[in-house]
Amino acid sequence: MSVSLPIEDRRRLTVRLSVLQYTIIVLFSVLVVAFWVLQVVQHAKYEEMAENNHQRTLALRAPRGIVFDRNLHALVENRQSYSISIVREHTKDLNRTVRLLAAVLGVDEAGVRLIVDRHRREPTYRPITIIQDATLAQVAAIRARRLDFELPDVVVEEVPTRQYPETMGAHLFGYVGEVNDAQVSDEGGLKSGDIVGQSGIEKTYNAKLMGEDGAKRVVVNSVGREIRTLEEDQPTEGQRLQLTVDYDVQRAIEEGFDRLGFNGAAVVLDPSNGDVLGFTSRPAYDPNAFAAGIDRATWASLTSDEDLPLQDRAIQGRYSPGSTFKMAVATAALMEGVITPDFKVHCVGGATFYGRPFKCWKKGGHGTVDLRHAIEQSCNVYFYTIGNMTGIDKIHKWATLLGLGEKSGIDLPSEVQGLVPSPEWKQQYRREKWYAGETVSVAIGQGSVSVTPVSMAVYAATLANGGTRVTPHLLKAVDDGNGWKPVPRPGAKSQAALDPDKLQAIRDGLFLVVNGAGTGHNAQIKGYDVSGKTGTAQVISNQGKEKAGKTEKDLRDNGWFVFFAPRDKPEIAGVVFLEHGVHGSNAALIAHHLMDTFFAKKEGRPLPGKPEFKPNLVP
Amino acid sequence: MFERRLYYHIDWAMVMAILALCALGVVMINSTTADPTRATSRMYITQLYAIVLGLGAMVFTLTLDYRTFTDKSHLIYAGLLMLLVYVMFFGMVQMGARRWIPLRAFNLQPSEFAKVGVALVLAKFFGENRGSPSWVDLAVGGVLTAIPLGLIAKEPDLGTAVTLVPVFLAVAYLAGMRLRILGVLLLCSVLAAPIAWKFALKDYQKSRVTTFLDPSQDAKGAGYQQIQARITVGSGGLTGKGFKQGTQGQLRFLPVAHNDFIFSVLAEEQGFAGVLVALGLYLFVILRALEAARLAKDRLGSYLVLGVLASFTFQVVYNITMSAGLAPVKGLTLPLMSYGGSSMIATLAGFGLVLNVRMRRFTN
Repeated sequence: MSVSLPIEDRRRLTVRLSVLQYTIIVLFSVLVVAFWVLQVVQHAKYEEMAENNHQRTLALRAPRGIVFDRNLHALVENRQSYSISIVREHTKDLNRTVRLLAAVLGVDEAGVRLIVDRHRREPTYRPITIIQDATLAQVAAIRARRLDFELPDVVVEEVPTRQYPETMGAHLFGYVGEVNDAQVSDEGGLKSGDIVGQSGIEKTYNAKLMGEDGAKRVVVNSVGREIRTLEEDQPTEGQRLQLTVDYDVQRAIEEGFDRLGFNGAAVVLDPSNGDVLGFTSRPAYDPNAFAAGIDRATWASLTSDEDLPLQDRAIQGRYSPGSTFKMAVATAALMEGVITPDFKVHCVGGATFYGRPFKCWKKGGHGTVDLRHAIEQSCNVYFYTIGNMTGIDKIHKWATLLGLGEKSGIDLPSEVQGLVPSPEWKQQYRREKWYAGETVSVAIGQGSVSVTPVSMAVYAATLANGGTRVTPHLLKAVDDGNGWKPVPRPGAKSQAALDPDKLQAIRDGLFLVVNGAGTGHNAQIKGYDVSGKTGTAQVISNQGKEKAGKTEKDLRDNGWFVFFAPRDKPEIAGVVFLEHGVHGSNAALIAHHLMDTFFAKKEGRPLPGKPEFKPNLVP
Repeated sequence: MFERRLYYHIDWAMVMAILALCALGVVMINSTTADPTRATSRMYITQLYAIVLGLGAMVFTLTLDYRTFTDKSHLIYAGLLMLLVYVMFFGMVQMGARRWIPLRAFNLQPSEFAKVGVALVLAKFFGENRGSPSWVDLAVGGVLTAIPLGLIAKEPDLGTAVTLVPVFLAVAYLAGMRLRILGVLLLCSVLAAPIAWKFALKDYQKSRVTTFLDPSQDAKGAGYQQIQARITVGSGGLTGKGFKQGTQGQLRFLPVAHNDFIFSVLAEEQGFAGVLVALGLYLFVILRALEAARLAKDRLGSYLVLGVLASFTFQVVYNITMSAGLAPVKGLTLPLMSYGGSSMIATLAGFGLVLNVRMRRFTN
C-alpha cells in the first residue's frame, strides 16, 4: 500500500531535485566550455602536437655514383649496409634500452653507453648510431625484438655504403667519411652527418658523386612502428664516373708490387693525351675500412704506421731522381746547342770539377762515349761534363719544360711540387749563392733535385710525345642519368720546341738501355721497342751510411724506372718507383709486366698471368 | 502485471536518446578497434550483443512493478554481496585485478551490478522512513553502502567502488539529510584526505594525482595518458578528423581507447560538433531521469531513480572530464558508450527501473 507524498515532503523533494538539475546543467556547461577551449581555441597547438606524435621524417641516403674504368668495368660500387640506432624520443628507460640492446647485439654494454653519452645533448629525435655496418644476425635479432615491442626505440636503417671490390688503387679512389665541421661551413650544400669523399677522386669529384638524399614522411604508431608512408622523395643517385684508368693495367701494377713487396708508386699515362692508365701508391690501405665509419683502432694503426700508408707517394712523395734526370740534362744541352748527339767524352771512372773529385759508378770508366751510349751506360762523367757546360739555368729551364719540379695538375687532391734547383731558388730560400760545383751534382740527378713520381710520368710522356707536357687526368666521362658525356681533356701545360732529330738521339739511348747493354733489359718486350731509363738514388751518402753503422732503418737505395713504348710511336709512358728497391732494374720488372698486359689487351691476346719474377737485392 | 495502457507512459524520448548513445558507442568502438592486424577487431559485434542483452534486462526491470524489486531488495543485496565475495576468492584475474566471473559467453563483473543493487536497497531503506533521516539512519545507509564498496575496492577496482558514494549521498540528500550534516561529511572527507594519502592510496594512485597537478613532470609515465588525452581532444577541432581517421586513437597513443578513452576518440574523429551531440544526449537523459524522479508517485520511486542516476551521472561527468585530460586518469568507463558487457547490461537495467518509476506514476 503506497501513499501519496505529503505536501511538505513533495515541496522539499522538488526543491532538492531542482538544485541537482541546475548543478548538472552547470557541470555540463563547464564541460562544453572546456571542450570549446581545447578543440577550437587551442586547436592549432594540439593539432601540431598530434602530427609530431605520429609523423616522422626519415632520411633516405643517396648512393654515391659508381666509378668505372675506361672500359666500364666497375671499380667502386655500393652495397646496402645496416646501421642500428637508438631514437630517444620515445624512450622510457634509456638504461634498460642500452642494457637490452647490448645483450641482443652481443656487444659491450659500457661501449654502447659511451656512444649514447657522447650524443646525449643532441635533439632526441636524431638517431644515435650504435652499430654501423651491422651483421645480418644482429639485424635479425633486433627485428625479432621489435615485433615484441620490446625495443621500440631502436631502429634499423638501410644505408648505401661504398664498396671497393678489389683492393687496388686505394690512393687513387681515396676514401669516404662523415663530413667534418670545417667542411660543413666551407662547402655549400653539406650538412652534418653527410658522407663525403676525404681523399682521392672520392674527394675531387665529391660534388658529382654525392647525389641528393631523399626523405620519407611516415606515420608511426605509439611505439614508433611505421604504419604507412605519407610521401616519399626518392634519393637521387650520384653521377657515374668513367675513369681513364684501365682495370687490367692497374691490376698488373698491383700484382707487380705484390710480387716484389716493395713500397713505392707507379703512374702510367697515355703519352698522347695524359689519360692516366694506372696509378698506385704503396703501402696501401683498405678503403672499405672507411666506408662504414672507421673504428678507432684501425685509424690509429694507419696514422701511427711509420710506412705512412695514408700518404699518396705518387703525388705527395718527393724523391731524388738519380740517373733518370740525365735525359733532362741531355735535352738542355742538345736543344741549347751546347753539344750535338755525337759529342764525345772520355770516362776513366771519375773526373775533377772545381777542384773536387766526382766519381762515375763504373770504377774502370766507360772509355770514350757519345750521347747515345752515355745514356745507355748511364755514364756519370759524360753528364758531369755536359751539365757543367750547359749551366744550371738552362738545365732548370728544360727540366721544367719536361714537367719536372712542377705540379702535374692531376685531378687528385693535395699534390705537392718537386724541386729542380736554380740560383734564384737558392737565393730566395737558402739565402746562398749558387756554386758551379752544385750543377755537376744536379747533372746526375743528385743534390737538391727532388721529384714526385707523377711528375716523372709526365716527363716520360713529354719525351715520348715530342715535347707536349700533358696534364695527367683521371676523368674520362660522366653519366648524370642521361647517358655518358665525355669530359674535355685538360690542355697541355706547356709545349717544348724539341728538335726531332736531337730528341731521337735521346730516345735511341733509352732504347739501348732496355734493348742494348744497358740496365733496363728487365723491361724488354720483343717487338715493342720498349725504351726507358733506370735510376738508383741513394737515400743516404756513402759516408753517412758508414757513420750510421748498424741500424734498423732501411738504407737501401731507391729504384726508378721511367719508360715509354714503342720507341717511335709511343702509346704508353710512365714511371715505377720503388722505395728502397735497391736498383732501378727491379722497377723495370713491374714496368715490363704492366706494358706486357697493356699490349696483350690491345691486341686481344691472352693477358699475362701473375708475375713470377724476383727482385735483385744485390746492390 | 503489465497493463497495456502502461505502454503509452513509457518515456520513449529517453529510450531513443539512450539507444542513440549506445549506437554512438558502437560506432566509436568499431573505429578504434578495426585494426586488420589485430584479432580484436570484432569488438563492436560483442558490444551489440551486450546491448541486446541489456535491452532484455531493461524490459525485465520495466515489466515488474519497481516496488516488487524494492521489496526484494534485501535479497538482491545479499545475493550481490555473495557474488562479490565469490569474486574475491574465485574471480578471474585480468590486468592485476580480480574482478570477473567467467561465464560461458562473457565475463560477468558483479561490481557493475552493485550500483543498481545499492540504489535499490537505499531507496527501500530511506523510502520507508518519514522525515529527515537521523544520524542512525545515515549510519545504517552508510554501512549498507560501505560493505560492497569495501569488497569492490579490495579487488582492486577503486574507480567502480567510488561510484557507490554518490549513490548514497544523492539518496540521503533527497531523503532530506540536513545540509549541515552534508557539510560535516564533506569536512570529514577533507580531513581524512591526508590520512588516506598516507595509508590507503597505493603509489600508482598517488602518482596519478601528482601528475594530474603537473602532467609535464612525468611526460613519459603517468602524465603521458593525460597529455595524450588533451592532444587527442584538441587535435579534433571543430568538425573532427572523420570516422576511422583519428591518429591518436588509431595509432594507440591513447591506451584502451575503446574503453576508458572512448570519448576522447569521439572528440578526435567527430570534433566539437560530435562532442556537443553526445553531451546533449547525456544531459537530456539525465534531465529526463530527474523529471522521472520528480513525477514519481512515491518517495521510494524518487529515491530509486536518483540512486540509479547518481552513479551514472558521476561516471559520465568524471569520464568526460578525464577524456579531455582535465582529471586524474582512473579506470572509469563511460556508461552506454564504453566497451563492456556488464556495464552495459547493468546500466540499461538501471534505466529500466527509471522508466518503470515514471511509467507507473499513475498506478496504485
